[in-house]
Amino acid sequence: MPEFLTDWGLLVITFVPLAGALLMMLIPQENEEAHKQVSLLASLLALALGIWYLIDFNYSDAGSLQYVVDESWIEVINSRLIMGLDGMSLPLLMLSVFVMPLVFIYSWDHIPHPGNAKSFLILMLILETGMIGTFLAQDLILFFVFFEVVLLPMFFMIAVWGGEDRRYASLKFFLYTLFGSALMLLGFLALFFLSKDPTTGELLRTFDMRVLSDVAGAGIVRSSQLLIFGGMFLGFGVKVPLFPFHTWLPDAHTQAPTQGSVILAAVLLKLGTYGFIRIAIPMLPEAAEAWAPWIGLFAVIGIIYGALGCLAQTDMKRLIAFSSVAHMGFVMLGIATLTDFGINAAIFGMVAHGLITGMLFFIAGSVKERYHTLEIKRLGGMLLQAPKLGWILGFCVMASLGLPGLAGFWGEFPAILAAYQPANGIPEETFRGYMVIAAVGTVLAAGYLLWLLQRTAMGEAPEEFANDPEIVDVKRIEWIAWAPFLFLIVLFGVAPGLIFEITDPAVVESLDNCLQLEGGCEGVAAAAQATFGG
Amino acid sequence: MLGQYLPLLALLLLAAAFAAGSFIASGLLAPRNPSLAKRAAYECGIVPSRETPERFPVRFFLVAMIFIVFDIEIIFFYPYAVAFGGLGVFGLVLIMVFTFAVFESFVYLIGNGALEWGPLKQVARPSGAVSPDRTVETTIRRVGLEDRGIPADDGQAA
Amino acid sequence: MLAQLDATPVETPEIVWAGLLPLLILSAGALLLVMLRSVVKRLPADVEPHLITAIGPITVLGMWFAAGLAGTDVPLAGLRDDMGEPAFYIGLALVMVLAGTLVRTMEIGLDAAITVGLGLSAFAATWGIWDDRWQVTGPFNAIGDQFAVDGFALLFAGVLAASVVLVALLLDGYLRRESLDGPEMYVLMLLSAAGGIVMTGANDLIVIFLGIETLSIAVYVMAAMHNRRTESQEAGLKYFVLGAFASAFLLYGIAFTYGATGSTNLVDIQIFLSSGQLVDNGLLMAAFGLLLVGFGFKIAAAPFHAWTPDVYQGAPTPVVAFMASAVKAAGFAALLRVFMLGFFSHVDDWRPAIGALAVLTLIVGSVMAIVQSDVKRMLAYSSISHAGFILVGVHAASLAGINSVAFYAVAYTFLVIGSFGVLTVVSGVGDRATSLDDLNGMAKRRPVLAFMFTVFLLAQAGVPLTAGFVAKFEVINAAVDSEFYWLAIVAMLTAVVSAFLYLRIVLSMYLGTADGDAADLGDPIPKAAGLAIGIAFAVTVGFGILPGPLSDLASDALPALIGAG
Repeated sequence: MPEFLTDWGLLVITFVPLAGALLMMLIPQENEEAHKQVSLLASLLALALGIWYLIDFNYSDAGSLQYVVDESWIEVINSRLIMGLDGMSLPLLMLSVFVMPLVFIYSWDHIPHPGNAKSFLILMLILETGMIGTFLAQDLILFFVFFEVVLLPMFFMIAVWGGEDRRYASLKFFLYTLFGSALMLLGFLALFFLSKDPTTGELLRTFDMRVLSDVAGAGIVRSSQLLIFGGMFLGFGVKVPLFPFHTWLPDAHTQAPTQGSVILAAVLLKLGTYGFIRIAIPMLPEAAEAWAPWIGLFAVIGIIYGALGCLAQTDMKRLIAFSSVAHMGFVMLGIATLTDFGINAAIFGMVAHGLITGMLFFIAGSVKERYHTLEIKRLGGMLLQAPKLGWILGFCVMASLGLPGLAGFWGEFPAILAAYQPANGIPEETFRGYMVIAAVGTVLAAGYLLWLLQRTAMGEAPEEFANDPEIVDVKRIEWIAWAPFLFLIVLFGVAPGLIFEITDPAVVESLDNCLQLEGGCEGVAAAAQATFGG
Repeated sequence: MLGQYLPLLALLLLAAAFAAGSFIASGLLAPRNPSLAKRAAYECGIVPSRETPERFPVRFFLVAMIFIVFDIEIIFFYPYAVAFGGLGVFGLVLIMVFTFAVFESFVYLIGNGALEWGPLKQVARPSGAVSPDRTVETTIRRVGLEDRGIPADDGQAA
Repeated sequence: MLAQLDATPVETPEIVWAGLLPLLILSAGALLLVMLRSVVKRLPADVEPHLITAIGPITVLGMWFAAGLAGTDVPLAGLRDDMGEPAFYIGLALVMVLAGTLVRTMEIGLDAAITVGLGLSAFAATWGIWDDRWQVTGPFNAIGDQFAVDGFALLFAGVLAASVVLVALLLDGYLRRESLDGPEMYVLMLLSAAGGIVMTGANDLIVIFLGIETLSIAVYVMAAMHNRRTESQEAGLKYFVLGAFASAFLLYGIAFTYGATGSTNLVDIQIFLSSGQLVDNGLLMAAFGLLLVGFGFKIAAAPFHAWTPDVYQGAPTPVVAFMASAVKAAGFAALLRVFMLGFFSHVDDWRPAIGALAVLTLIVGSVMAIVQSDVKRMLAYSSISHAGFILVGVHAASLAGINSVAFYAVAYTFLVIGSFGVLTVVSGVGDRATSLDDLNGMAKRRPVLAFMFTVFLLAQAGVPLTAGFVAKFEVINAAVDSEFYWLAIVAMLTAVVSAFLYLRIVLSMYLGTADGDAADLGDPIPKAAGLAIGIAFAVTVGFGILPGPLSDLASDALPALIGAG
């Protein structure tokens, strides 16, 4: 059994949800219980496999790729089926396989209008396959395929089960992301055609991410590197979402059903940032260096803009959506520093944001279910009517604004700290300026989050809901779904080393040496050009 | 070099002049006494009883089209006839295939009644929308004919 | 008098009959079908079903013989040796019985059954030539130096044959629904496909013209054949008039090429042009332009695309499926052949023109599609943008470019036949319900069909795990390989724009609510059409997940020039 899991396990964990989906297609639509059971079982299987990997993972060797699968797939373009697990992808993989069963448990009582549990659950299973596959893929085309595969189920989830404006939101989401992906694919192709072996100088023509990370863009002309990075920047940046490509997010989050919002916030946004740290930066460090100030700029604008946007919102879900923009701004700031400290902070921020914002969207969904509205000015007095729900909201709000002791702190604070000392070759003063702005952003974050808490949870219950029997406290299903989230938020808050120890070796491995050296990558590359003629 | 075409030009001009001259002469010199019989369209001596209709039965048009196709076929036969000695068996097979290709279109025409010249036949295409069991007898019941002495005739769908 | 006859033997070309087998099967089959059905109008009701069922096993036998005659050995000889003789023949008999049962369950008409049989036999013949002759001895000339049989021509002949089979399956139910029974449509389609095969294998510009005219005139008539719809007749007339115009341009271009190079044979042209004897290439440039106009019309490249929306909207939907797949594929094959083989030495002269055509086509196809309200018109514009993509592959003018064009042609054929097949089934009598509103709520009425249509549309958009993505990817691959980055960027961006139009249709199916008087009454779809759509779906998804076999096939399909022999 262990051999099987080491050799083929990654394929199994990726496709178990899809197998569940295919099984569900055979079950007739009316048998909703069977559907819920099968889907939950499939995601629990994936979780079990994930936990097995968590236990079996070789933590002393977290920097190198483990459990590698390497099969031939499309010979013509030299694209292989390569999957692997290292310290960078392990936390995100665990996030995906952990969140999904909880979402399925939540769905037990909450299939949104207009029903049809079969299709809804199948779409979520396909989403899970896509997410796991993206985090495990080590071949650019395989990565791209999984990256795109997550678009369709989410599009349908928003389009069919969403709010009033769902048509517009789903189209915007799909087309925006497709636009970014189109340019990203061109970037991948350019990498394929232009990468050269540093020792022999011959063209590599491979999509293997391991090889391309090793080569790290040697031999590609700087201007081409900048353009290729630009393409990937667009593709991943739309997903993150990075200002100014974030405009799809508020609409998508607001119009999506609760489960859709949770998955979108918890995992799908991480695909973009993961792309940056797995593909864009390791493969093109020189271009990353040149782009870093801009990425940092957009990140801090996102932090402030997201915060200001939150302050202006009247809809609770939209407010949480804008807070996602702000949080991902912190993550991107950490990434933009191009140091292992910053990227570690970024990965932690990803996991923390996934847990916290996922929880916030769950709460929003429950509020909608009870109050039938998400308008903040109509809400109030939750602590009086549904105290446990109010306390959980308060807890998540504290986590989201970065209270020390909860997971959110370790996502924001190290990122700001990392901006103080960015990698060589990146202007320090600029990043220190970003640091200041980001710190201001934390104050604003506290502002909007506490204001949300005050308006919705505190004070008297509003008249229209004062005697509403539907305003019940947290139900059992919700406790089962939410307790693990809450536990992990506390756990990672008090023991951040759990994640940092896993990710650090892998991050160090991925960052090319040239970023540590004097003069940064530009200097190193100039020397290399002189040596072997470019 | 172009001078050799001069007689051709002269002929062209003369022909045009002759034609033009004839028209002008008849227009100037002829007497003008129109009458109904003179102005009527020619119909082999019969006095025309109505205006000639603009439309004509499409059979004539079909025959003209079909004629052209087979005329072209014959035109292709002429060069073969001249060169068939040199082309040998290969040429024979080739022209047979060509003939067959045109012949099958002839079979199609005959089979679908394109060259039928009798009175117009209504081709009743069963459309499937109406059951063939429904005829005039089954759907129409003639009432009130018995005490009038008019026998109920079995009408046939025209 | 006999002495006057010229008896000196004329040199006749050497014919390799095996190479002509697909062409012969289709054309002779068409002629025999029309003759048979003119003589025997209606079979007695008790004989007809049995005859149709018998066509199943006859087709299997026909495929067997066609592959055997086309190849050099008994077909599947390797399999026969592996299984042992009696087991193999018993297996063959089983397959024949299965074929008969399949035909019986399909409830197909006689004309359609014969057409499918002919198409499959032609496909088997193509396979036989591919396996036994071409892969063993290399490309060869079939008729003197006028008609070549190489991997490229064989691949496209296979595509045309497959297209005939699938469209015949669609036509069966359609013609019965519209009360347009009769062999004419099938015969014309077979003849058109035969013309297409001539086009894709031609070694001489005049032969290409011959093929184009045969292909086109049959399709003009097919487009106009729905005699109760004025849009159909308008479509046919428009297509005919504009097509005749374009053919005139093509012929003028051929004449100029003859003037510039002294020959219309592609081999001679290539030899002449690469020897550098051409001093003043003004005539040749004019020839390129005129040839591009002529071919551009056929493949619906902008600015010669104006006929496409009206013709696609008006013509009967299965005919549109044939036009969008077979006619376009044949047009591209001829274009590629002429320019890559004949004019390759002047590639820098014609490449910018094709690049400009590609960009214009992509932009027109994707942008104009967005403002349409009729689904057939939307798909017409989308096929224009697909033509633009294939032109990007032609523009690359490299081995990768040719491979991508071949792959795209195969994938796109099945995609578009699937899409128009679904439209055929749901658009009601007289094709009247083809606007976007008519598709509202289709997902509730016909969930499986809506799902398949969604997959087809997303494949056309280029979503991964469909053959459409792999096809687009290979084209972009070829463009980036030849370092034409701007063209690749334009192509990808227009792909995103056209994704919007496909998503609109998908949203309409899943979100819209149907009106009370929907044209589609939810009747069971004709089984033959269901089979065709199912095959198209399987190919689209199958080659999307595992594109390997088709990619390998496409990379083998290279056009070659064989000298006069």
